[in-house]
Amino acid sequence: MVGRPLDESDLIGRAQRGDTHAYEELVTAYQGIAFRTAYVIARNAADAEEAAQDGFVKAWRALGRFRPGAPFRPWLLQIVANEARNRRRSAGRREHLAVRAATEEPSGGAAPSPEAALLTAETREALLAAVNELPDDQREVISLRYFLGLSEHEVAQALDLPEGTVKSRTSRALERLRESYD
Amino acid sequence: MTELERALVLLGSELDFPAEPDLYSRVRERIERRRRARRALLVAVALIVVAFGIALAVPDARSSILRFFHIGSATVERVHTLPPARERPLAAGLGPVRSRHDAEARSGIPLVLSGVTPTRYYAQPGLIATLLEYRGKPVLLAEMGGDQAGITKKFVTPETRVEPAEIGANSLWIEGGKHVLIWQAGLATFQRVTRLAGNVLLWVEGDRTFRLEGDLTKGQMLKLARDITR
Repeated sequence: MVGRPLDESDLIGRAQRGDTHAYEELVTAYQGIAFRTAYVIARNAADAEEAAQDGFVKAWRALGRFRPGAPFRPWLLQIVANEARNRRRSAGRREHLAVRAATEEPSGGAAPSPEAALLTAETREALLAAVNELPDDQREVISLRYFLGLSEHEVAQALDLPEGTVKSRTSRALERLRESYD
Repeated sequence: MTELERALVLLGSELDFPAEPDLYSRVRERIERRRRARRALLVAVALIVVAFGIALAVPDARSSILRFFHIGSATVERVHTLPPARERPLAAGLGPVRSRHDAEARSGIPLVLSGVTPTRYYAQPGLIATLLEYRGKPVLLAEMGGDQAGITKKFVTPETRVEPAEIGANSLWIEGGKHVLIWQAGLATFQRVTRLAGNVLLWVEGDRTFRLEGDLTKGQMLKLARDITR
């Protein structure tokens, strides 16, 4: 999860008045989740980077239409996700295994947590393979919801779907994954 | 959260996402580039506006731009040769002097007039006119509505300045040189009265065309026009 700046609404207000320094803080706060969201959808690092970059530029232009007090993250992720989808449709160079398991050690080389240690390498690989085999619409929902930690509401907004659709896709995806996991 | 969901969360924490790029430097560059482009566009638009204004102020350039204008019931044309015309009184061709009541009845136009006291009233179908005195000088105010009356103004550049004015929905200021006025009133009994005209302000408000003529500056004429239609 990416933390939100305490004075986010203040930063947004300043950015809406043209303050690029305030927008820089927003970009810095959200570039990680924006890039990963784009990556989950585009399945290509270069496309994801372009999508996230374009998303931030378009969000800057659209800031005047941003409703004060509304959560910024899902609004931004919707723009980024849309850019990523456009690239995935047009580029035609999806990486088949874009979401890959890390090495045996978690990212950063730190020792695995006791909980993570419970997830054996075999289980991890089987589960990841099962996620990668899901249809795009289910894989995206699972990735955003569990890998990136978005709420159901945020997933719905990012993918521009009704929450009911997100629920049903999640349910169907979990059903399929359960077969591999059990 | 089920065991499977917990396993997915754990799996997510161990995925090897590509390194997070530093997006802001490129985002900032694009925002700045866009800002510069917008500033350049604004400057370009401003330059075009200024250039057009200069062109209107320079007789030679203006003559190539201004050829034909419609301002409400008035037509303003640039011509190479003026039609025959001579100096005549301001109210020449407007018919007999009338009372305000008679003038409004004949023209079918209730007079829009405030702030000044006319000395005489004239009327043709679709046209009402009054002679005023402003700053000690005679001024003719004509108001036209509908399509029964109209005027044509002909001028020859570079002697005559023609430029927009800041009044009404559409306006034009005509000053200097010899320019010819042609009244056209009454479609059934077509009349043409031609004479040389003084400085003129033409403007449109609603469905009415106003015309002021007299030996006044543009600023004086605009002030009078605003007083009249206040």
